[in-house]
Amino acid sequence: MSALPIGTPPIPGDRLARFAVSSRRRRTDRAARGLLLAATLIALIPLGLILYYLIVKGLGAWSWSFFTTDPTGNTFFKSESIGGIKSAIIGTIEMVALASLIAVPVGVGVALWLVEYGQPRWFAHAVRFFIDVLTGVPSIVFGLFIYIALVVGTGSSYAGYKGSLALSLLMLPVVTRSAEVVLQLVPNALRESALALGAARWKVIFRVVLPTALTGMLTGVLLAVARAAGETAPLLFAAGATNKSTTDLGQFMNALPTQIYKDVTSPTESVVNRAWGAALTLVTMILILNLIARLIARRSRFA
Amino acid sequence: MERSPLARLPDRALKYGLTSLAALILILIVYFFERLFVEAHPAFSAAGLFGFVFGNNWNVSAEHFGALPLVVGTLITSALALLMGVPIAVAAALYLTELCPRRLLAPLTILIELLAAVPSVVYGLWGIFFLAPKLQPAEQWVADRLSFIPFIGGGVVTIPNYFVAGLILAIMILPIVSAIAREVMTTVPPDHKEAALGLGATRWEMVRMAVIPYCRPGIVGGAMLGLGRAIGETIAVTIVIGNAPQLGRHLFGQGYTLAAVIANEFGEATGLHRSALFAEALVLFVLTLLVNALARIFVVRTARGSRTPIVGPGEAPGDLQAAVAVGA
Amino acid sequence: MITKNKTVATILGVAVLSLVLAACGSSSSSSSSTNSASTSGTISGAGSTFAAPVYEQWGSQISGLTVNYQAVGSGAGVTALEGKTVDFGASDPPLKEEEETALGKVGEPVQIPMFLGAITVSYNLPGVSAGLKLDGKTIADIYLGKIKTWDDAAIKALNPGVNLPSTPITVIHRSDSSGTSAGFTGFLAAVDPEWESKVGSGKDVPWPTGTGAKGNAGVAGAVQQTTGAVGYVEQAYALQHKFTTADVKNKSGKFVAPSLQSTSAAAEGIELPANLGFAIKNPSSPQAYPITSQTFVVVFKDMCKAGIPGGKSAAEGVVKFLNYGLNEGQSILAQADYAALPSAILSKSKEAVASLQCEGSPLS
Repeated sequence: MSALPIGTPPIPGDRLARFAVSSRRRRTDRAARGLLLAATLIALIPLGLILYYLIVKGLGAWSWSFFTTDPTGNTFFKSESIGGIKSAIIGTIEMVALASLIAVPVGVGVALWLVEYGQPRWFAHAVRFFIDVLTGVPSIVFGLFIYIALVVGTGSSYAGYKGSLALSLLMLPVVTRSAEVVLQLVPNALRESALALGAARWKVIFRVVLPTALTGMLTGVLLAVARAAGETAPLLFAAGATNKSTTDLGQFMNALPTQIYKDVTSPTESVVNRAWGAALTLVTMILILNLIARLIARRSRFA
Repeated sequence: MERSPLARLPDRALKYGLTSLAALILILIVYFFERLFVEAHPAFSAAGLFGFVFGNNWNVSAEHFGALPLVVGTLITSALALLMGVPIAVAAALYLTELCPRRLLAPLTILIELLAAVPSVVYGLWGIFFLAPKLQPAEQWVADRLSFIPFIGGGVVTIPNYFVAGLILAIMILPIVSAIAREVMTTVPPDHKEAALGLGATRWEMVRMAVIPYCRPGIVGGAMLGLGRAIGETIAVTIVIGNAPQLGRHLFGQGYTLAAVIANEFGEATGLHRSALFAEALVLFVLTLLVNALARIFVVRTARGSRTPIVGPGEAPGDLQAAVAVGA
Repeated sequence: MITKNKTVATILGVAVLSLVLAACGSSSSSSSSTNSASTSGTISGAGSTFAAPVYEQWGSQISGLTVNYQAVGSGAGVTALEGKTVDFGASDPPLKEEEETALGKVGEPVQIPMFLGAITVSYNLPGVSAGLKLDGKTIADIYLGKIKTWDDAAIKALNPGVNLPSTPITVIHRSDSSGTSAGFTGFLAAVDPEWESKVGSGKDVPWPTGTGAKGNAGVAGAVQQTTGAVGYVEQAYALQHKFTTADVKNKSGKFVAPSLQSTSAAAEGIELPANLGFAIKNPSSPQAYPITSQTFVVVFKDMCKAGIPGGKSAAEGVVKFLNYGLNEGQSILAQADYAALPSAILSKSKEAVASLQCEGSPLS
């Protein structure tokens, strides 16, 4: 039986007969392909349903003033406006940006240390142990921790940066774990050849290892960011709720998930609609972020 | 190869920098647990450690806190989430990396990851207002037809139930498990795959022989992240599970989880009740830890069986260590 | 090419970094010292979710004052006040003894009744219009699981002439701890000894039967979705969703529908304890709707001495807020289906506000 040359495109199922592949194996192959395709479609069905639900319920709330005005706090008087979600958008962007600025370097740093150094062994095991446990912590507990440590303990009040800290704790295990997985898969041959060429260890890490692992880590980071952007509980106990727009991270800060949670339980219909509009906004923002990040990554790769 | 001490400085700086970072994080996390333990302590001393974890009674007004129904509920929902979510996620990742037409790869990837962008409260509301009512007739049918199977059959089918909660969680963990699986699959060395194909394997056999064994540790890592999310998810679960603190006997009956209790009761809890909620959080950590530890053992054991060499995390193969020792 | 895209990435990174640093920088002057943590005209509060829409509305009506309110729940609100993380707390149930003691360590607490809300018994029975007559014992039996269908003899006896279907009753209750549950179970415990001994009252009780839904909105949604469902929801939700609600028998024997007047009537004739911490349980007035709950704002008598985060300006702001709420605020409550305090309690509340001080000198 002749070997397939490297670079041959995949052979469609029924042509396998020419290569004397038994029909049972052909059938298994076709069945497996079908199942894999089916699984992908199954994975996409909930997305389609949810997006449809969000669009139907939320698109109606979108308008220019929706994005450019703060919530007014008015829910009683139908003749007056209930306002939009400007403060929530600004708050989410700022708090998540700060959280990422903290969590990403720290997470990648810890993962790098685990994969590249990891000595003494017991210490690496301890770090891994604790990061593992952090993955299962409910988001509300992070908020409570920040509350106990930074809000009640010091006698100062809620602040945007405290919300960011809670979010970065949430993001940390995801970034670390996914970076660890991806960094472990960088072939040692790459590292060895760079070292053999005389490169310093730090250069090997920054010029060889990290760039190779970049897209993988980017995926983990984007998922962590998406999670952080959608969580209410940590913020409620750390960032405080407010209606006013502010860019000052030292003050109470609104955020999209906080606004959604507050509005969706309201008895007033227009307020509930605003919640759905905000939810749709959040998903759209993450989508845009994803697209931009991938665009940048792809261009720097092929450069 | 000789290098001056000055040239070695960045290496040293990086090593010590990263080591201190790891140490700092370790200290921070230990501090985190210490604070929580302090808050949780009154509850543990009131009921005793075993009494709290294995006591089968969560009664707030009577100030009696036994967390067993919640532990069981958490286990049930997490198991459901993993059972339903991981195979689909891995299968989708396989499709995307091996079979998918090149043009569709980017759009499909972004779509699956978009599932991660949906806020948890939206998952909960969509679940209770759209999904759960739609599923109820089917669930009723299953419960009636399969009434001879314990846990699945018989029993009252309520709209919010364990199954819906598990399903919603499975959807929530899909993006992360799938994304990590996909990343891992794209790094399979082409020679592994070509060797299999060259030996006459069909596409599926190649995947089974070359791709999956190589990716197993990474997939398990992704699954553990998904599990973490499933165990710790609060808002979505509490909206769709019915919140009944009884031992879960029926798949389609109401249930409760540790995380959901914390979310539901924290706003109004004071004193011993508050402490009990923190104690639950600690129980959650232990659970997460146990499952993660089991997963790591599983990875090491199966790696020994397969022919794929597993370089332990942090371990460098001999050549690399030699190169480092020489002064690179 | 690499350098070009690296440059782009670096520029973006620096831009984000500088935005964040600018934000942090502008806060460094205010976040460190507790007294200037708030810009003038800003007060912060935390607590009851029931009262949240009202406090936000009042805040939006007062010009020059920003009210930042977090609806974290009554218990967490009191804890937040104790920790001096907010300027005022909000609680539906009156302060418990241990809460008063804990607050007392920081400063003398004052609880001020603000307004009332009715808890309706809403049901989803096509063909049966609003005003189904139910009494406390029947409701308790439904929630105990003893009455299972709508055409049960007990319900029929109270409603002669109403065509009741044989639909099974789906009981909906709250899954989360809430003051609404406390009010509802408080009523049941007061009128039915069996409920009192088997289940008791409180924010979180061991419900013998039924499905748990999260929040008023959850219960409302569940009732809307299921034919034959019954659930207890705050008046505002019931009215806005146009639910059919039951007329409940009060202590005087009359069946009263939940309306703003009957809700206010529930608080009439109540003997107020010295600390104003009253809880309405089975009111005696003949016009009263019997399942009614109250809500309080909790503050320190001497706010500045206690050390609230907003300092003196916040203390003044809180007084402004409370005065608004107890005057014009009461008249706009009806717009959102909340009920105003009866005059006897209202005057006591105003007196309490007048007694608030800052470092010994009165604020009003």
